[in-house]
Amino acid sequence: MKSLGKIFRLIGLYFKVNLASAMEYRSSFLLQAFGIALSNASFVFFWWIAFEQIGGRIGGYDFRDVMFIWALTSSAFGASNILFGNMNGITRLIVSGELDTFLLQPKDVLVSLLCARTSLSAWGDLVYGFVLMALTHSSDGMAWIMFLGGTIVGGLLMTAISVTAHTFTFYFGDASLIGDMALEFIINFCIYPQGIYHGFVRALMFTLIPASFIVHVPLKLARSFDIMWLLIMLGASILYCTLAYWFFYRGLKKYESGNLIITRM
Amino acid sequence: MKALRKYFTVFRISLENAFVYRSNILGGLLFYSLFIFVFFNLWRAIYQEGQVSGYSLTQIVWYLCITELIGFGSRSNIFHQMNDDVKSGSIAYQLNRPYKYVIYQFFNALGVMVFNFLICGVLAIILGLVMVGPIPGFRFTTLPFALISVILGIIMNFFILMTLGLTAFRLEENIAFYLIYQKLVFMLGMFIPVEFLPLWLQNIAKWLPFSYVTWAPARLVVAFSWDLFWTVVPIQILWVFVAIILSMMMYGYGIKGIQAHGG
Repeated sequence: MKSLGKIFRLIGLYFKVNLASAMEYRSSFLLQAFGIALSNASFVFFWWIAFEQIGGRIGGYDFRDVMFIWALTSSAFGASNILFGNMNGITRLIVSGELDTFLLQPKDVLVSLLCARTSLSAWGDLVYGFVLMALTHSSDGMAWIMFLGGTIVGGLLMTAISVTAHTFTFYFGDASLIGDMALEFIINFCIYPQGIYHGFVRALMFTLIPASFIVHVPLKLARSFDIMWLLIMLGASILYCTLAYWFFYRGLKKYESGNLIITRM
Repeated sequence: MKALRKYFTVFRISLENAFVYRSNILGGLLFYSLFIFVFFNLWRAIYQEGQVSGYSLTQIVWYLCITELIGFGSRSNIFHQMNDDVKSGSIAYQLNRPYKYVIYQFFNALGVMVFNFLICGVLAIILGLVMVGPIPGFRFTTLPFALISVILGIIMNFFILMTLGLTAFRLEENIAFYLIYQKLVFMLGMFIPVEFLPLWLQNIAKWLPFSYVTWAPARLVVAFSWDLFWTVVPIQILWVFVAIILSMMMYGYGIKGIQAHGG
């Protein structure tokens, strides 16, 4: 428990430093965040057109349901990339030998590695989710609770999947393609109604690509709360994060330093 | 002819490079398959709820295969390349080289675009046939004419992106232009056929270049008509010229402000 507290403190410190650094380039920061929010907003337009044409529900979801999964995906992705900005760059750090720097630090290697960078545009994703929720679920308390909780759980799950995929680099060499694919699969299965998929794909969404635990279960809970589903969601999240952590450290034992000399500023 | 030979060599080298990076090929194919699979499921669910005017499910799936194919086929990194060249100053090194920078960049990207288009094209045909079968009423005789429109769409997209990239000469942060352009192409044709849009928006879209990048060619592939061909292709040619002239003007304007200090 004590070490978990230390990890949270470390994440907090990295967040403060990264935010201060981002604020040095305010205009770039705001422009990137605005651009991403605008980019996400174009999907609202698509769904508006689709529901205008059809009228009823698509894949079992109505317009507000789709906006909920969109808001949650966006904010969870934003939160994970703000706090753990290096989650998409693990392969690059391993292949280039830059991992050495993190091995010498007296803190948790994986946490230091993930938190050492932040993504400016991810703020746009995070804020976009909140704006979308305010516009479509302004007075729905349960939806807000599930959205806020889901942002944390979903962010951790996305990070865990990304870490697991990139960790394959320790075993097979450059796994950047697997890493990119993993995140792309997760996002694509998050932003469309679960009902459009059937059979094997639906099973994948609860196992290998746990998109259901990121957005579809929180939506189900927001519409009709069920303690069993909440426990399953939390249990699955802890399991995925623990597995990712264990898999990374197991892979790290295979890492061989290239004695690269670099400076971190 | 001699002048063209050097650009052809640039094209050939770019094509050979595209063959070498196998993980990029695999990545492109996997991403393409993923998008088509997701869209197929989505539109199948939409059509289960009701009919959408102007397109059958088979047509809409093929439509998306084509629009995504144009998206993947015209993927060239040109916007970021322009941005990097201008911001890093490496564009100055190109000034005394024996080629026109804008034309060189086009042929340098052409190899990758041709390669992506061919390889994703084969995949598009396989995926379309497996998911929904052949396009109803499709005639091979009209395909070359539809392909003219596809090629014009890809060229137009390339030079518009180049123009936007070259705005880096005057604007330090121009990524917003890129994102806005991408989304306009996405909304006005790539993901939603123009016929699905409200009438007022359809009328606006007709006067803008964005829907001519993906909607016009894809519509010609899935439901060819000579009326449509003679309506959209001249407009595409016009926009291609406008985009090429704009990119050259933007380059010429920007290059005048360059100060090189040796080194």
